[in-house]
Amino acid sequence: MTQVVRFTARRLGRALLTVWFAVTVTFLLLRLLPGDPALAVASPNMTPAARLELLRQYGLDQPLLVQYGKYLWELVQGNLGISFARQVPVSEVLMERLPWTLLLTFTALLLTVAVGIPLGVLAATRPRGFLDRFTQVGGVIGQSLFVPSVGIFLLFFLGLKLHLLPIGGSYSPGVYGAAWYLDVAKHLVLPCVSLMLVQLGSYVLTLRSTLIDALGEDYCVLARAKGMPNRKVVWKHALRNALLPTTTLVGLQLGYLVGGAVLTETVFAYPGIGRGIYEAVTQLDFPVLQGAFVLLAVTVVLANMLTDLTYGVLDPRVRTA
Amino acid sequence: MRLRHPLIAVAALAATAVLGACSPSAPTDNNAGAASDATLTIATTTDVVNFNPLIGNSRTDNWITSLMYPRLLSISADGKKSPLLAKDYGFTDPMTAFWNLRDDMKWSDGKPVTADDVAFTINSILRDKPAGNTTYGQLVNVDSASAPSPTRVELKLKKPDSTVVTEVGFWMNVVPKHVFEPSGNVAKFANDKDWVSSGPFKLTNVAKGQSYTLERVTPYPFAPNNTPVVSKIVYRVYPDINTEILALKNGEVDLIANALPPAQVKNLQSTPGIKVQEIPGLGYAHMTYNMKHPALADVKVRQALAHAVNYEAIRSVVLQGQAVTTGSSPIPPVLTEFADPTSKEYEFDVEKSKQLLTEAGYGPSKPLTLTMIYSLQDAVTSQWANLVKDDAAKAGITINLQGMDRNTYLAKTDAGEYDIYAGNFAIMDDPTTNMALTYLPGGAINYTLVDDPALNSLITQAQGTTDKAAQKQFVQQAAKLVRDNVYDNVMYMQNLYVAHSDKWSGFVVKPSELLSVVDPQSLANAKKS
Repeated sequence: MTQVVRFTARRLGRALLTVWFAVTVTFLLLRLLPGDPALAVASPNMTPAARLELLRQYGLDQPLLVQYGKYLWELVQGNLGISFARQVPVSEVLMERLPWTLLLTFTALLLTVAVGIPLGVLAATRPRGFLDRFTQVGGVIGQSLFVPSVGIFLLFFLGLKLHLLPIGGSYSPGVYGAAWYLDVAKHLVLPCVSLMLVQLGSYVLTLRSTLIDALGEDYCVLARAKGMPNRKVVWKHALRNALLPTTTLVGLQLGYLVGGAVLTETVFAYPGIGRGIYEAVTQLDFPVLQGAFVLLAVTVVLANMLTDLTYGVLDPRVRTA
Repeated sequence: MRLRHPLIAVAALAATAVLGACSPSAPTDNNAGAASDATLTIATTTDVVNFNPLIGNSRTDNWITSLMYPRLLSISADGKKSPLLAKDYGFTDPMTAFWNLRDDMKWSDGKPVTADDVAFTINSILRDKPAGNTTYGQLVNVDSASAPSPTRVELKLKKPDSTVVTEVGFWMNVVPKHVFEPSGNVAKFANDKDWVSSGPFKLTNVAKGQSYTLERVTPYPFAPNNTPVVSKIVYRVYPDINTEILALKNGEVDLIANALPPAQVKNLQSTPGIKVQEIPGLGYAHMTYNMKHPALADVKVRQALAHAVNYEAIRSVVLQGQAVTTGSSPIPPVLTEFADPTSKEYEFDVEKSKQLLTEAGYGPSKPLTLTMIYSLQDAVTSQWANLVKDDAAKAGITINLQGMDRNTYLAKTDAGEYDIYAGNFAIMDDPTTNMALTYLPGGAINYTLVDDPALNSLITQAQGTTDKAAQKQFVQQAAKLVRDNVYDNVMYMQNLYVAHSDKWSGFVVKPSELLSVVDPQSLANAKKS
C-alpha cells in the first residue's frame, strides 16, 4: 500500500512541476509572437493613444515579470482571465467548446481502439496471411496520411458528390429533440472517420508486432504445450503483455484529446477547442490561448499519469520502478 | 477483462460530455401566420467575436449585429449616402451637426428608437473608447452629442468637420440606451444574451462556432408591409470559401456572404442552380512607398516604380478582369460624386522607369533594392506581388518579397518596417475622411509617412467646408497631388461577386463586401421563389 501511495505521490509531484513548466513556457512564447493584440483587435483607424489605453486595459503595458506574477496568482485561484477579443471569461469560452472536442476525440479514440485491437490480434495470429498483409499496407498508408487531405477528400465524396453527410459544423440549426442527437451523430461521422483513418495504423502495426513477439515467448509455448486453447493463449496471456506499448499509444492520444484535433476541427468547422485555438491565434487573444494551453497541459499530464497507473496494473514490475 | 474498465469510464465520460452539450430547446413561434416561414441560410468564414456592435470589428460581427442595431445612413450602389434611421442631416453652423430621425422605428421590446439612443451611443463611444470601434476614430472632432427632441440629434464639434455627419451616420450602429446603459461601460459589455433589436431580425439562438439564428422583428419600415419577408436568417460558419462553395452546391446554405475568389467566379456562373451577383467595390488595392527610405523620398524613384507595374496584366490575369482602374487616383470610381474621370493611370513603361531611375542617380552602377511586405492571408495580393517583382526587375529594380502572417504584417506596418507596403483598403466610402487618415501626418493609415504641406492644406480645407462643390474641388486637387507624387500607388478597384441559390431573389445590392446583399434592407426583402 505504501508503495502505491509513494508511486502516486511521486507521479503527482512530477505532474505539478510539468504543468508549471508548460504554463510558464506558454506565457513567454505567446509574448514572443509577432504582432500586437491591440492591433489584432482594434479598428485600423484607432489613434495611438486609444491603442495604448487598450494595452493598459489588457495589462500588457506592465513589465513581463509583473504580468507573469499576476497571471500565476490568478491561475492558482482558478481564474483564467478575460478574453481580449470577446470580453467574457476564458473559462466560458473554453467550456463552450470543450464538450464538442471531447465528443469528437473520445469517440475517435474509442472506435480506433475498438477496431485497432481486434485487427492487430487477427493480423498477429495469421502472420503473412491476406489480412496481415492488408493491415500492414493499410496501416502504413494510414500513418502517412495528412488529416486535412483525408478530410477534404471525404468532404468532397461523401458530402458533395453523394450527399450522404453534412459539410461542416456539429449539428444543423433548427433541429430539436431526438432528431438533434441523430444530427449530431451524422455531423460526427466525417471528422471521426478522418481521425480514425490516420490513427488506426499505429494501433494495428504496434499491436501486431508486439503480439507476434509475445506469442513466441516461452510462457506462451508452455501454455500451448499444456493444452491451453490458442484463443485463450492469445487473449488471456499474450495480449496482456503485448498491450503495454498500445497503452502508451492510448495515453499519448489521450493527451491530445483537448487540443490535438486542431486541423480536423478546422477542416470540418467543428466548434471544438482546436478551432478555438486557431481563432484565438489569429486574434492574438492571449488569455484564451493561455487557458487553452493550460487545459492541454493538464490533459497531457493526467493522461500520462493514467498511463503510468495503467502500466502498474498491467505489469506489477512498474510499480516498484 | 480489466482493460475494459477504463474504456467504459472513457465512454461514460464521452456520453456525459455529449449530454452536457445537450439538445437545444425549440424556440416558440412568435410570428405565426406571418408573410413567409422561409429560412435563409447564409455561409460565413469567421465566427462571431462580439455581439456588442460597439466593440466588434470582424466581418461576421458586423453582418449579424447590423441586423439588430440600425445605422443612421446607408449607401447606395452609386456610392451616395442615403437615409436610413436619419431622414435628413446637415449642419446648423460649422460647429453643430444634426440628424433628424424617423419616428416609426421600435426596439423589439416595444420601446421607440429615439434621439436619446443615438446621443447615448455617441457619448458612450467617446467616454469608453471601445476597442475595434471604427466610429471612435471618426469622432475625433466631436465634443459631445445631445438629443434636443426625440427625433433630433445634435453634435457639438471641437472644430469644423464636414465629414462627421455622414461618416458617423454610415458607420455607427445605434444601440438601445435602456439595455446598454446599465452596463456602466459599453466597452466591457458582452451583450451576449437577451438581445433587443430594432429589426429586421433579432438573435434568438447561438451555437458558438457554428451557427447563429435570427428571427424577424416587426415593424421594420424598410420591408414590404413593414414585415421582413423571411422568418429566419441563419448564419453558418465554415472554415473557408471553398467549403462554403461545397455547402452551397450541396444545398446546405442559400447564400455565401463572403466575396468569391476571382478564379471561382466563372466556374460558379456556369453552375446550374447557382446565381452569381456582382457587387461594386468600395475600396482599392495599392502599394505605398515608405518615404522615410532615402531612395523612396525621391519622387522620381516613386514614379519609376509606378511606371514599372503592368496594371492591366494584374487586372486581367490575377483578377480575371474583375477589377477596374481608378486612374491611379485614391478616389474609387464608384464614388461618382467625387471621382475625377480625367485622372490617368501610370503607363507600364520600362524604358521610362529606367530613365527616371537614372535621373534619380540609380542604375547598374548603383542598383536599387527594396523590400515589399504583404499578408499571406490575402491571396490576390500574394499573386500580384510576384508580377510586380518580375516587372520591376525588367526596369532594374530588385524587389524582395516578404509575405507574412496577418498579425506580423500589421505589426510591421504599424512600426513602418517596410520599403513597400502592398495591401488593400476594403471600404473608402468618403474621400475626405479617407485622405485625412491616409495622407495627413499622424493619420492612422498613413503608410507612406507623407507630410506634404500642400496636400495637408487641401485635405484640411475639404474637412472644414460644408459646401459640397468646394469640397469636391479640394478632394480632386488632393487626389491629383497624390497621383502625381505617387504618395500612393493605387492599382485597381476590385468588383466583388457573391453566390446564392437561384431559388432566392429580391436582394438589394449595396457596394462593398460589408454590405453587398447581406445589408439589413437586402435581407428584409429577400424571398424564396
